[in-house]
Amino acid sequence: MKDTNQSWWSALLRDPHWWVPVIALILGLVVLQWIQ
Amino acid sequence: MAAPGALIPRLEASRLRKLQALGVICGLAAGAWLGAAEAPTKLVRIGVSPVVISLLMVIGVFLARWSVPALARGTAQIRIDARQAPHLILWAILAGCLWAVANTLTIFAIRDIGLSIAFPLWNANSLLGILWGFLFFRELRLAGWRRWFGVIGGAFLMFMGSILLVFASSTQAPGGRALHGVVAALGAAVLWGTMYIPYRKAYLTGMNPLSFVAFFTIGELGMMTVLALRFTGGVLPLWHELINARSVLFWLAAGGFIWVIGDLFQQYAAKYIGISRGIPLSNTNQLWGLLWGVVVFGELRGSSASLYAQVIGGSLIMAAGAAAIAFSSAQPKEHEHWQEAALRESQRYGTDLDYVRSGLEGRSATAGRANEDGNRHTILDWIMLAITAVVFIGLFVVARTPMVAFNAPAAVVLLIVMVAILAVSGAMLWRTTKFN
Repeated sequence: MKDTNQSWWSALLRDPHWWVPVIALILGLVVLQWIQ
Repeated sequence: MAAPGALIPRLEASRLRKLQALGVICGLAAGAWLGAAEAPTKLVRIGVSPVVISLLMVIGVFLARWSVPALARGTAQIRIDARQAPHLILWAILAGCLWAVANTLTIFAIRDIGLSIAFPLWNANSLLGILWGFLFFRELRLAGWRRWFGVIGGAFLMFMGSILLVFASSTQAPGGRALHGVVAALGAAVLWGTMYIPYRKAYLTGMNPLSFVAFFTIGELGMMTVLALRFTGGVLPLWHELINARSVLFWLAAGGFIWVIGDLFQQYAAKYIGISRGIPLSNTNQLWGLLWGVVVFGELRGSSASLYAQVIGGSLIMAAGAAAIAFSSAQPKEHEHWQEAALRESQRYGTDLDYVRSGLEGRSATAGRANEDGNRHTILDWIMLAITAVVFIGLFVVARTPMVAFNAPAAVVLLIVMVAILAVSGAMLWRTTKFN
């Protein structure tokens, strides 16, 4: 078992799922800026 | 990766059936309460900016989300969940940000292309949810063609039903910025569909929905505040808008409060039946919103028979879609794939396997600790409840009776139905999972 406190940050950044909502959020903000 | 069966034993068939039935009930209850949340906002017809309306609802949501969980289980559980899976705090905040941006996009979509076109476009979020559920969380694996047909066909039927309903129930068709409106509505669908990735991630890991929503609101309120400041032009203009709208603040915050009840049920649905089934079921909120609009606010009064036929037809199609999904719940073989995804999450983030397993079984990993479960309400919980009560009483005192005509007896009947749904679903949740 990994040490949760030490590794969850790096696990998060390595998690391919993490980037899907992050990219969606960035795209959403770009669209919001564009449609104003 | 080790075989999931070796680390997470297969869930008993009877327990799985019970949890699946509970998830379906929660999805339908979510639809009812999310739809009812539109009612208080219908009372507000004065010139308040849509972004400010959204911000005020989110403030109501924030207060409710920090008080309802405190009342139900106490904040001690939130601390335990945060310690067990600290990464999920960031996932929850991210989901809250996605919600706020999507909600703001819908405001612009309605402005540019009207509700009738915008609503079905952003309701496509359920189709995206099915895709993410399949790709990332192993939902619908080995589910059999009948269940595939039930879920995909049901979601498609609901989508078609929603198109019929919105064309029947809305009249406006503003033009001029069609491309902007379509992109905004599709953007909302993508964000709302993607928002369920954090939901599912949290529940496969074993986090309690009441804890997840508490962190979710931080992202939601933070992002909504930033957007409101941006759109109103800064702190002072926003403050002036809030002061000018003080007589309706109560109704908007009340809408947010009702919305939270629905969202909590939605979270439990996502937990127990997955996002591929949970999202479409909670999208039945459109039926309830329409019911409130027609019965309480007389929105279709004086309309033609063909319009009523369209509404009844659209509602029946949506209901049929929801029923198809409700009867396509996961079987043990599919559930083993969910366990596989849960094991992957546990290994990726180093989350305690007992915690993950208990979450999947709808039990508390800390149930044996007398202190945490027995004395779960602390002084902090009562302080948060008191603050929420004071804020709502304060808003009520400065609130003005809405000028919008509505059918009070019908509203009372619908309220009784809502409370009955809350009582029955809440009792089932408590009996089966103790709100886990």
